[in-house]
Amino acid sequence: MPIEAKFAIIAGLVLLVSVVGLIWRARTGRSKQIAGGEIIDLIEIGATKNGQPVTKFGERVTFLQFSSEMCSQCKQTARLFHELEQHTPDVLHIEVDITNRLDLASKFNILQTPTTLVLDHNGRITSRIGGAAKPETIQDELGSFHI
Amino acid sequence: MSESTSTPAGIDPRGPRFGAVITSVLLLITVFLGLDAATADAAFVLLAVITASFAWGATQGTAKHPYGLIFKKFVRPRLAAPKELEDPRPPKFAQVIGFVVAGIGLVLGAFDNTVGLTIFAGMAFVAAFLNAAFNYCLGCQIYLGLKRIGIIKHG
Repeated sequence: MPIEAKFAIIAGLVLLVSVVGLIWRARTGRSKQIAGGEIIDLIEIGATKNGQPVTKFGERVTFLQFSSEMCSQCKQTARLFHELEQHTPDVLHIEVDITNRLDLASKFNILQTPTTLVLDHNGRITSRIGGAAKPETIQDELGSFHI
Repeated sequence: MSESTSTPAGIDPRGPRFGAVITSVLLLITVFLGLDAATADAAFVLLAVITASFAWGATQGTAKHPYGLIFKKFVRPRLAAPKELEDPRPPKFAQVIGFVVAGIGLVLGAFDNTVGLTIFAGMAFVAAFLNAAFNYCLGCQIYLGLKRIGIIKHG
């Protein structure tokens, strides 16, 4: 194979993966609206917070974050929501580890962690954020709940 | 995994990325060498080294890997403290995936299948480069998928 062809293949490979990476970065952490979403059953998902079962949704909005054991971005996403919850009334953050809850992974069709479901005050899913939520995505979601 | 109940001490997230930069450069060189029959042996040797490197990371974790130690000794002192520490298990799992992919390429190479060696080296490059350039952990990404289709059984 001529040396030019080899360099062209190498350059093409780097370019292709760079494009994939840029597309991923543009898309990850953005929210997708869900029309007619179902209502989350807090008992079914086994939601706990500080060791206590969660029995109520946030007064206005709940961010239900699904995490797993092998997740590089879950911790920082949880921290982001935790800070938000501290400074914003009526917002609740719940984190559920689905490493051993594959029933939930298939029920909600979760292919990546973190995946965050945004719930209204009744616990109805209104949108879904795949990947580490971007701060502007969270602000937009809060805006849609007039917070 | 018995450690699944408690989270181990965090590591600087830039450590695994530093290793991914070195790994992706080496894998790209492997692909380049694998494109020519005249340099196929060199590609095989280099991929063997990379596979051994993945095996080290997969068993010892990225912090105890030579790249991790180089990062800690020479790179980290020049950087500001990280904003937060990262769980060491996801990058370790990604090393397992890297080991499997590079290992398949190595086995193919051992049977004189240079095209196969080059393709698998290229696949490993994709994952290493996405991690190095975009902080995108492909291995972590497919963890849940692998569990869901039953390839990984343990918690």
